[in-house]
Amino acid sequence: MITVENISKSFGEIHALQDVSFHIRRGEIFGLLGPNGAGKSTSIHILSTLLRPDSGEVLFDGKPLYSDVQGVKMKIGVVPQEIALYEKLSALDNLLFWGGLYRMPRARLRNKAAEVLELVGLSGRARDPVSEYSGGMKRRVNLACALLHDPQLLLMDEPTVGVDPQSRNHVFEVIEALHAAGKTIVYTTHYMEEAERLCERIAIIDRGRIAAIGSLEELRKISGITDILRIRLAPSQRALLPQIAESLKALRVDEQKGELEIECQNIGKELPQIIAAVQKAGGQIESIESERAHLESIFLKLTGTALRD
Amino acid sequence: MIVLFLKDLKIFLKDRRSVLLTFLLPIALITLFALAYGNMGKSSSRSRSISLLLSDLDSSDASRAVITGLDSVDALTLRLCDSAEGLALVRHGDYPALLILHAGFQDSLLAGKSLPAELLYDELREMEVGLLQPLIISKLFSSFGKELIRKRIEDYLAKEFPDLDPALRRKILEDALSDNVAAGGEAETSALKLNSVQGEREDENSPGLVQAVAGTAIMMLLFSVAGLGSSLLEEKESGTLRRLLVAPLSGNSILYGKMLFAYFISIVQLLVMFLFARLVFGLNLSMNIPALLLMIAATAFAVSAFGIFLAAVSKTRQQAQNLSTLIILIMSAIGGSMIPLFFMPSIMQKIAYFSVNYWGIQGFYDIFWRGLPLIEILPRIAVLTGIGVLMTLFSIRLFRKNILKLI
Repeated sequence: MITVENISKSFGEIHALQDVSFHIRRGEIFGLLGPNGAGKSTSIHILSTLLRPDSGEVLFDGKPLYSDVQGVKMKIGVVPQEIALYEKLSALDNLLFWGGLYRMPRARLRNKAAEVLELVGLSGRARDPVSEYSGGMKRRVNLACALLHDPQLLLMDEPTVGVDPQSRNHVFEVIEALHAAGKTIVYTTHYMEEAERLCERIAIIDRGRIAAIGSLEELRKISGITDILRIRLAPSQRALLPQIAESLKALRVDEQKGELEIECQNIGKELPQIIAAVQKAGGQIESIESERAHLESIFLKLTGTALRD
Repeated sequence: MIVLFLKDLKIFLKDRRSVLLTFLLPIALITLFALAYGNMGKSSSRSRSISLLLSDLDSSDASRAVITGLDSVDALTLRLCDSAEGLALVRHGDYPALLILHAGFQDSLLAGKSLPAELLYDELREMEVGLLQPLIISKLFSSFGKELIRKRIEDYLAKEFPDLDPALRRKILEDALSDNVAAGGEAETSALKLNSVQGEREDENSPGLVQAVAGTAIMMLLFSVAGLGSSLLEEKESGTLRRLLVAPLSGNSILYGKMLFAYFISIVQLLVMFLFARLVFGLNLSMNIPALLLMIAATAFAVSAFGIFLAAVSKTRQQAQNLSTLIILIMSAIGGSMIPLFFMPSIMQKIAYFSVNYWGIQGFYDIFWRGLPLIEILPRIAVLTGIGVLMTLFSIRLFRKNILKLI
C-alpha cells in the first residue's frame, strides 16, 4: 500500500531521517518503534503529506504520494501525538467539525459520529465539553476524529502518550477492532509492549535510520537473540557479577538483584556451556529463568542504546 | 471555509468572557468618551490654526497684498485655490477653512465700504478657526484697515461739516484714528463674514459623539480582531492546525476561514456599537444608510485583515498579543481614536494617514457630521478596502512563512 524509498529529511543540521526505506502492506498494523527524536513523527508527517522529504520517494498504491495530495488526504486518517481538539466544544461538535472537513453529507456524518463515539466508548459523554474530559477520554476522541471519513490508512503517532492503563486498553481494543475491519495502520511508539501487542511488523528506528524491519520473530532472528537467559547468583557471590558478565558477554547486569541477562540463539545448546562458565568462575547459581527475547533486548542489540534512554 | 467559520463562531459564542469583552468593553469606553467629548463642536472653544485655503476672486493689488501678508505668517500654511475646490476640501475635512476674497475687494477698500471677504470653515475644526480668525483680520487690517477708517471719517466730515477748518479736520481725523486703532478690532471683526460649510442641519450629530463612537469602536475592533487573529497561533500551538493541514484543505482556506470569521465579528461589532450610540446617545444613523453600510463593511474588512496580519507576522501567541497591543495603541493614538486629530499638530495629522483608524474615523465623520454624499465618501472606502487587500496579501505570505512552518 505504501512504499517508502530511500527518503531523507533534515532540519538544518539535524538529520531527522537518513535513507529510510520500508513497505507497508494493506491491512497490517505496521509499527515504528524508537525513542523520542528517532524520526517516527517526521515519518508520519511525510506519510500524511505535511512534509516533503528532501530526497527519496513515497508511493501510495503505486503512485507518488504528492501526485494527488488532496486525494491521498481523503484516504488517510491521522491521529496526532498531541490532543488536537477544540476543548470548548463537545466531543460531538469536534467530530462534526473534523468530519465536515472531508465534505461528508450531514446525515452520514452524524451517523458516523455516533458510530465512532460508540466505538471509543464515549456515547454517554458526547455533548460534554472536551475540557471536562480526562486525559484518556481526550485521547479516545482524538482517535475518533481520525475515523469519521472511513480512511483506508490510519497514521497513529504515539496515540497513548500520557494515558491511564484503562484508557490505553480501550485504545488498543479500538485499534484491534479497526485492524479486524481491514484498516491499514501505521503505529509509532516508544513503548515496546504496545508494539509487541499490536504490530504485525515493526521497523526499529533510531537516529533517523531504520535498524531492522520484520515481525517480532524475524527481528529476533535478525538480531541473533531468540531467547534471554536470566541467571541469579547467590547473595554471597554478587561480587563476581562483573567478571562473569564480561566472560559471558551479558546483555544486561542488575547488581542489586544479583542478576545478569544473557542472549541465546539456541538455548538448549548454549545452556550447559553457560552454566559451566558461571561455575568455572566460582559462581553459585541461585536461579535460572528463560524467556523469549523481547523488543527491548532486540532494540538494545540492534541499536546499542536502550529504548527508554 | 464555511465549516471553519461556523466552528470559530461556535467557540466564540461559548466563551462568554470574549463575547462580553467584544461588546461591553467598547460600549463602556464609548460612554466614557462620549461623556468627555459629547459637547465638543457645539460650543466655541480654543485651539490652534495650521492651514488655510485662500481663493482670490478679485485678483487686485489689494488682494495680492493680503495674500503676501498672510503668507508671511510662520504659523500659517497658505494654499491658493479656486473657491469650488477650496469648499470641497473644507467640506471633506482636509482643511479647516477657506478665505474668499470676493470680486470688488479692492474697490470696496478704496470706497471705504465693508470688505467682501468671507471665511468658510469646518465647524468640526472651529478651534483651529478660532486661531485663524484674528490672524486673518490682523493681516487684512494692518495693511488697509487704517486707510479704510480714514477714508470713512473723511467722507463723513466732508458730508456733514463741509466748511470745517482744515487744521481742525486733521486734528479730529488723527484723534479718531488713534482711538480706533487702540480700541482693537471689534468693529473690524465684523468685516469678515464667517460661515460654516456644514450650514444649519436638523439632523446634526454632535462631532464629539461621532468621535467617541467611531474612534472607540475602531480601536476596540482592532483589539477584538487581533485576539481572533491570534487564535491562528493557538491552533498552531495546540496542534489543531497540523490536523487541519492533514485534512483535504489548502493552507490558504484555513486563513480565509479565520478572516471570514474576523470579518463577520467586525461587522457585527460595529453594527452593535452604532446601534448602541443611536439608542443611548441619539446618534442619527439614517443620514446616509448606504454609505454607512459600505463604510462599516470597508472598515470591518480593513480592520479584520489588519488583525489577521498582526497574527501572521508573529510566531507565538504571546508575541502576537504584545505586538498587537503595541501597534494598536500607537495606531489608535495617531489615527485619532484616542484624541481627535484636530488637537494634533499638522505633522501628526499627516502621519495619521498611515493608520486604519484615521480612514475609518474620517469616513464616519463624512457620514455623520459632514453629511457628504456616497460618491464623495468612496475614496475613503477605497483606501480602507485597499488596506484590507494589502494586509490580506501580506498575511497570506506571512502565514505560509511563519505559521505553516510547523517543525
